[in-house]
Amino acid sequence: MKKSKKITAMDIVLLALCLLLPLGAAWIFPACGAHEDGSVMACHWAGRAVLGAGAAMGALAVLRLFLSSGAKLGADAALILFAGYGEMLPGTLISLCMMSTMRCHALMKPAVIVVCALIQLAAAADILLRIRRERAEKR
Amino acid sequence: MIARLSFKNLTGRPGRTAALVLLAAFLAFSIFGGSLMILSLQRGLDGLEARLGADIIVVPSSARSKFNVNDLLLQGNPGYFYMNKSYADQVAAREGVEQVSCQLYLASVSAGCCSVPVQIIGFDPATDFTILPWARETYREEIGRGDILVGSDVNVPQDGILRFYNVDCRVVAQLSKTGSSLDTAVYGNQQTIQALIAASQERGLNQYNQIETDKVVSAVLIKVKNGYDVEDVKDDINIHVRKVVAVRASHMISGIADSLAGMSRLITLFIAAVWALCLAVMAVAFAMIMNERKKEFAVLRVLGASRGRLAGLVMSEAAAVNLLGALAGIALALLAVLPFSAAIEKGLGLPFVIPDAGRVLLLAAAALGACLAAGAAVSALSAVRVSRVDPSLMIREEN
Repeated sequence: MKKSKKITAMDIVLLALCLLLPLGAAWIFPACGAHEDGSVMACHWAGRAVLGAGAAMGALAVLRLFLSSGAKLGADAALILFAGYGEMLPGTLISLCMMSTMRCHALMKPAVIVVCALIQLAAAADILLRIRRERAEKR
Repeated sequence: MIARLSFKNLTGRPGRTAALVLLAAFLAFSIFGGSLMILSLQRGLDGLEARLGADIIVVPSSARSKFNVNDLLLQGNPGYFYMNKSYADQVAAREGVEQVSCQLYLASVSAGCCSVPVQIIGFDPATDFTILPWARETYREEIGRGDILVGSDVNVPQDGILRFYNVDCRVVAQLSKTGSSLDTAVYGNQQTIQALIAASQERGLNQYNQIETDKVVSAVLIKVKNGYDVEDVKDDINIHVRKVVAVRASHMISGIADSLAGMSRLITLFIAAVWALCLAVMAVAFAMIMNERKKEFAVLRVLGASRGRLAGLVMSEAAAVNLLGALAGIALALLAVLPFSAAIEKGLGLPFVIPDAGRVLLLAAAALGACLAAGAAVSALSAVRVSRVDPSLMIREEN
């Protein structure tokens, strides 16, 4: 495996998607707000978990930029698994609010699933492209 | 040979190919996404019309001054009001009234970690003609005391128990989606709702603390006899039965129908603008690209490629670009509309129900066909021009 550390367009796409997850969970598609008395709903913790997982994925995507092509394959595989975990956080692993019309159901959950699915897709495409390029170079 | 040459041409200029794919994606996104939105809005309105069921709804006149009954039934703002049960008998005695059914309303309070105020609607299974037909789509058993049916947007806990005013209610079925606030309501028989009203009174959480739950109703739903004009029956009730207001159910959703028509017009305008712009840009882009590649086509002609083959090359390149772009645009539109349908419904404030998978697939196929046809039409012009290239003139021109 070549030890090239060249930054490709796919690296930038992955970085942008991985950073979108924590930024989105915090500001763009957050969980429902707190009650007037300050108490929070279950979806609040789902939002916090997504923020944490997203921050870890964002950090991995930044680190990935400085890795060799071979190590990037490992980072891509890790991102695919991490994104799978992220998809399951709102609703499956941590329950959300009572109504499907509430922000956590209507916005946070679908947005997290879509962003995580795009990360998986981009990481899988990156793995395939790298393997293809590697094979072409060997020929 | 044409396919391989087209592929080499497209991959050899990735920037140019990407720009053309992007244009085709815009076309597909706008027509598929826009049509899906219009269809979903129409389906939502149809569902709401079907679910209202009654010709006339009678509520206490005080309900009109305190808040709009539309708020309760259509906008999802929970509320409740009561009138003496005797009004139902007075209304039933009016000429032209075929059937009446009473409903009892209550709003839950937000309590606990995840509760939000929920509209609770009590109906009489013996006389009901609006909720039961809807409920029968998913539940055919008897609805007993303590049993509740919930709208499609209410998430049912694993134990199937929802607690209102400290009274446990067993969820027996979830109703099909209407795309309106009826989906966030809870339905039970009169005895269940009377028990909940009594529980709310005990806790001092009901603004009507003095009422006797078995002597009041919130609304009377009316079906008008065949041959009678609904407007006349409504006016007759408003004139002869005091302290109540009769409202035509169809008038309640006429505002929604108007908004829907406006929204559909806006979306259609958007689709037309995007298509006009994208097709014009595509036509210019194709013409410029073909002009740039004149020498290439002249060489191909000298090498023995027929006019038809050259036109085929241009058409196959355009078809490949349009197919890729259209698929990408359709996928993007699906990703933007399907997962976020609840957010769109909330944002628009209109009933919104995504059509079934078969219809969505059909719509996607139609959008794909339209994009391919439009792309072919735009590229056909360039293909004809290319096929008329005189190789000797062209090569001489270049030299």
